[in-house]
Amino acid sequence: MGEKQFLQKLYSKSERQTEEIAERLAKTLKGTEIIAMFGGLGAGKTAFTRGLARGLGIDDGVSSPTFALVHEYEGKFMVYHFDMYRIGSYDDLYSTGFYDYQDQGVMVIEWSENIEPFLPEKRINIKIERISDSEREITIEGAEKL
Amino acid sequence: MRILAIDTTASAVSAALVKDGFLEGEFFLNVKTTHSQTLMPIIDNLLKLTNTKLDDIDLFAVDAGPGSFTGVRIGVATVKGLSLPLSKPCAAVSTLEAMAYSMPRVSGIICAVMDARCSQVYNALFRSDDGIIERITEDRALSIEELKNELAYYEEDNIYLIGDGTNIVYDTLVPELPDLILTTNNIRYQHAYGTAVVAERMSDMNKTCTSDELMPIYLRVPQAERELKAKQQSGK
Repeated sequence: MGEKQFLQKLYSKSERQTEEIAERLAKTLKGTEIIAMFGGLGAGKTAFTRGLARGLGIDDGVSSPTFALVHEYEGKFMVYHFDMYRIGSYDDLYSTGFYDYQDQGVMVIEWSENIEPFLPEKRINIKIERISDSEREITIEGAEKL
Repeated sequence: MRILAIDTTASAVSAALVKDGFLEGEFFLNVKTTHSQTLMPIIDNLLKLTNTKLDDIDLFAVDAGPGSFTGVRIGVATVKGLSLPLSKPCAAVSTLEAMAYSMPRVSGIICAVMDARCSQVYNALFRSDDGIIERITEDRALSIEELKNELAYYEEDNIYLIGDGTNIVYDTLVPELPDLILTTNNIRYQHAYGTAVVAERMSDMNKTCTSDELMPIYLRVPQAERELKAKQQSGK
């Protein structure tokens, strides 16, 4: 894309605060964003998604879709929650129906590392980095200022 | 011969009823709805409004790929389900070939393109000589950049773009290939009429199959595969 994406770094001291940051992000969404999450095991990706879903009026049932590959939630917008942990090729990705979900709702993608070259360039990147057991640094790229 | 043809390979959905080459009825929608919700009511209404019974259909045709993963599976599964109890033959039509046969009579190169995402397209090239169509390439997945290099070879010809990838290919390539011709909106997106035309030719050539044999046609995207491997290796 080339254009400079707005980058913001936020500090979270707890899982609860990670959810609140995500909830704030949810309020800025228009309905068809692609949100790519990066961060290893236990970084708080599912907590972030839970907060995001809550911000869109989805109060419960958010869990990691590691086995189902995608979970669908209906709130203010449809939310498609992907887990790419087991996805290792373009064919794998294609056969999740990933591209068929584009423009149908908000797509939240855990383990984006695995499919980064196949993600649309127009997207929001969330990087969650571990500072200590409870603290995280959350880098948000391509979203409005929170 | 009466053919019921359907296409669900991209965002549009359509069904056509064609009897001995004559288009008796056609439905086409291109809105953001799920094909699993629209396709059956479309087929049902098409048959009802044309006073056709399912048993009157001699051949069930479907664009079996390339196309969206979910879309192709909806189309193929539907045709399997309709044809199985009646033991009627099916035709697994190439989406790209169906597009070429829904073009009006032109002379030049027909470039059928579908958006495969990640700057890749599904494509096949055909030569049309006043409507007599000859296939130049197989169906394949390639990058828009690779397609540009091939199209440059046909610079002397009129090149017509058709298919749901038309807009992205045109916008990307028109600075370098300014003579690309856009098909008009009413035929740009795949229509099941073209599917029926190809199916009739396949029937003439004994290339139909049973409902059991009908399978989706998926094309690999080789460049995407290479990029991922390179990325994963450099990341390690």
